Amino acid sequence: MSELLQLGSVNQRPQPPKREELTLRFSDAAVKELDALRTHYPEEKACVLPGLWIAQREYGGFLDGEALAEVAYRLDRSYAEVEGVATFYSMYNTAHRPGRHKIEVCTCLSCHVNGAYRVWDYLKSKLGVGHGETTADGEFMLEEVECLDACDRAPVIQVGDQYYGPVDDAYMDRLLDELRASPVNTVVQMADSIVAVQVTGPEREAAHR
Amino acid sequence: MAAVASETVNLVINDVEIAVPKGELIVESVKRLGLEIPIFCYHPRMKPVGMCRMCLVEVGFKQPDGSVRKMPKPQAACTLPAQDNMVIFTDTEMVHRDRKGVLEFLLINHPLDCPICDRGGECPLQNNTLFYGPSTSRFIEVKRHAHKAFPLSKYVTLDLERCIQCGRCVRFTEEISGDSELAFRFRGASMQPSTFELRDFTSKFSGNVIEICPVGALTNREYRFRARPWDLETKPSICLECSNGCATWFDYRVNRLVRVNGRTNEAINEEWTCDRGKFGHEHYNADNRLTVPLIRRGDRLEECDWPTAYAAILSAFGVGGDKVAMLAGSSLSNEGAYLLNRLFHRKFGSANVDYRRTAHTLPPDEAAGNAPTAIADLELKPSILVFGNSPADDIPIIFLRIRKAWFKHGARVVVAHHGETEADSFADVVLRYAPGTDADLAKGLVAARANDAAGVAQAAAACGVDESRIREAAALLGENTAIVTTDSLLNSASGADAFRALRQLGGELNRYALGANDQGFADLGLVPGPDGRGTAAILAGCADGSIESLWLAGADPFAFGDRATVEKALEQVGFVVYQGTHKSEAMGFASVVLPMAEPAEGDGTYVNAERRLQELRAVLSPPGEAKAAWRIGAELALRVGMAKPYFGAKDVAAEIFTQVPAFRGVAFGDRLN
Repeated sequence: MSELLQLGSVNQRPQPPKREELTLRFSDAAVKELDALRTHYPEEKACVLPGLWIAQREYGGFLDGEALAEVAYRLDRSYAEVEGVATFYSMYNTAHRPGRHKIEVCTCLSCHVNGAYRVWDYLKSKLGVGHGETTADGEFMLEEVECLDACDRAPVIQVGDQYYGPVDDAYMDRLLDELRASPVNTVVQMADSIVAVQVTGPEREAAHR
Repeated sequence: MAAVASETVNLVINDVEIAVPKGELIVESVKRLGLEIPIFCYHPRMKPVGMCRMCLVEVGFKQPDGSVRKMPKPQAACTLPAQDNMVIFTDTEMVHRDRKGVLEFLLINHPLDCPICDRGGECPLQNNTLFYGPSTSRFIEVKRHAHKAFPLSKYVTLDLERCIQCGRCVRFTEEISGDSELAFRFRGASMQPSTFELRDFTSKFSGNVIEICPVGALTNREYRFRARPWDLETKPSICLECSNGCATWFDYRVNRLVRVNGRTNEAINEEWTCDRGKFGHEHYNADNRLTVPLIRRGDRLEECDWPTAYAAILSAFGVGGDKVAMLAGSSLSNEGAYLLNRLFHRKFGSANVDYRRTAHTLPPDEAAGNAPTAIADLELKPSILVFGNSPADDIPIIFLRIRKAWFKHGARVVVAHHGETEADSFADVVLRYAPGTDADLAKGLVAARANDAAGVAQAAAACGVDESRIREAAALLGENTAIVTTDSLLNSASGADAFRALRQLGGELNRYALGANDQGFADLGLVPGPDGRGTAAILAGCADGSIESLWLAGADPFAFGDRATVEKALEQVGFVVYQGTHKSEAMGFASVVLPMAEPAEGDGTYVNAERRLQELRAVLSPPGEAKAAWRIGAELALRVGMAKPYFGAKDVAAEIFTQVPAFRGVAFGDRLN
């Protein structure tokens, strides 16, 4: 949160961005997808959540102030309202730049008793980052999360929209190498697959034509 | 409200039977018996959310056998609508235990820094804890820590540690002011009300969130550490920063104004204030207040006594007739304006008096009957046309009513202005015309109402608005439409024509005044007579030497006139009386300076934009030898032998009531005839 604090001089605080100052970075396809979404709901307010997923994809996995402001602008909401929604949900990356792969380690009961913290400690020492931090090369972000609803595979981890488990140190070595070698940005991919659930079939084809 | 609730239901509250309208919230029903339910998040003017759980009551239902079956859990009275056979308990052991529990939770994270908190002494959390809370806390863990005293804007300080997350401020910006600049960020215990990225809080109504905050999380930056509430004295006042005339409380300490709070007046401001009114009264305490009369000797202004000043003025204005003139400033009281007006008309034989500051003016016969729609009635209009002004800037409290008409009663709003306005956000149709084409658009709307396709096309081409938009807007208007314009329309060259065209549109055409008492001046007839000169002509007359003496009664021509013109006029005119509250540039040209009291430093009556007559009784005493406007007028009247002495503003007001037709038989708080 501290990086969001912008004190400024007491009488010259940073102003909310003006509409003409916004840098709009939605691609044509994204704009079309958002337009398609608008037809799904009675009012634009309802498009904020899917709109944020589109933004998370378009802005490379991280929702910074500019991304939130663009969503607010495109859906005619206030900036604060969109920021409030985005910071409420933990799957929107608003606080930290997530890197290419976000590794979410479940440490709830079943995973815990099956050694989740052993995996957690191993990852921490191997990647050299802690909870909510991203490696210097921008590859991995580590996050400790609550129950992932996959106790049968405990200890389980989530990367993008994939679950892996049961995991141990050797499994993690292998998985990290695979992820590093893969050209895919799983954070963006996950955002895209969630958008694909909302904007489906002909709408999506039309948008990406 | 006109609609009478047709259906009532029978409740039993603490063994007392009472009939209330069906669906009324229990928290309101309980008030009917004079009982109190402690609340934090509930606010009668906003939608209930049930966030704080402070208003828990026990609820049961009467069974056919006469027994009462209670619900197993307590219910939040602020979200519970009244139903038949409901039995409410506000005073059982369970309720008291629940209140203790809720307060213990609320105080987990609330820092008990009341001794250094501005809210301490008038804090709902403090009060409720005292009356309903536990005496000690069982929590020994570390409290949540966040930024203290974060300056959210130049008016509002945010202290996140103190926030109890009731959401009143967030709901205010969503429901009342409509800018939605505040929202809750994050979640759970770390949830915090803030602006986008904690940037500047730019709302024009931000001051209200300070007053409705039930703790000291949002505090007033100007009032910060100025006083403790129990050291303050307070008196009812009205705000004279614009023409709305909102009811306020002036809190003062040792004759120094320390803050302004909103006071409930359902007819005007409900309980809200705008930032201009809430934070705009610092000039009362300014260092450059005038305290003694001054008279010019050579190139210096020297202190003198009042009789010397009066004698100098009366000898200079003795020439009378067309050679003298007066410009009145907007915060003059009716009494002050009436006496000076009478002095000019009767004693000096001059009709050169004016208060209007707009670039253009309407002829007197068209200027009458400015405001047929009362502010409170705007709320129930099916459609409202805002034409040629930005209401949030010109008439902020009327803007809140227009927004309420839309938000609560679904009024259709059309906004026609050449710039962006706050009202665009809820308007059905926004007509953004090219500056200066006000009249074209107004004619276009009239043509569209009359199905005159050629007229619409012509207007659309002239003002740069789509034909279809004009038609769409005209379709929303009708006989019950309230048309809201202000005097700022007359700053446009075609404003007067636009006004004439709007008259043909049907509906109630309002031209709200801009200055505090401008409407009062209009009704008192403080305008040039048939052979008199208006503001522009007076300044021109000063410049060409045809006017020898000019009286600036609270007016500062530099604030509204073209700079070069005003400078030339004040240099050329032989004698200038500067009757004002503060030193200013115009004072440098004065021959005599009369120190005047600010409105709340003397008695007086004022007429607001909707022509409501309001009385303001002195809150403070004027600095030094400064005198209220009515007193200056009365002393001059006595000197020229015009009147029996007036012993107070009331005597002058009594004369206005008999002499001025518009004021005849009007009671304070009513609208003029």
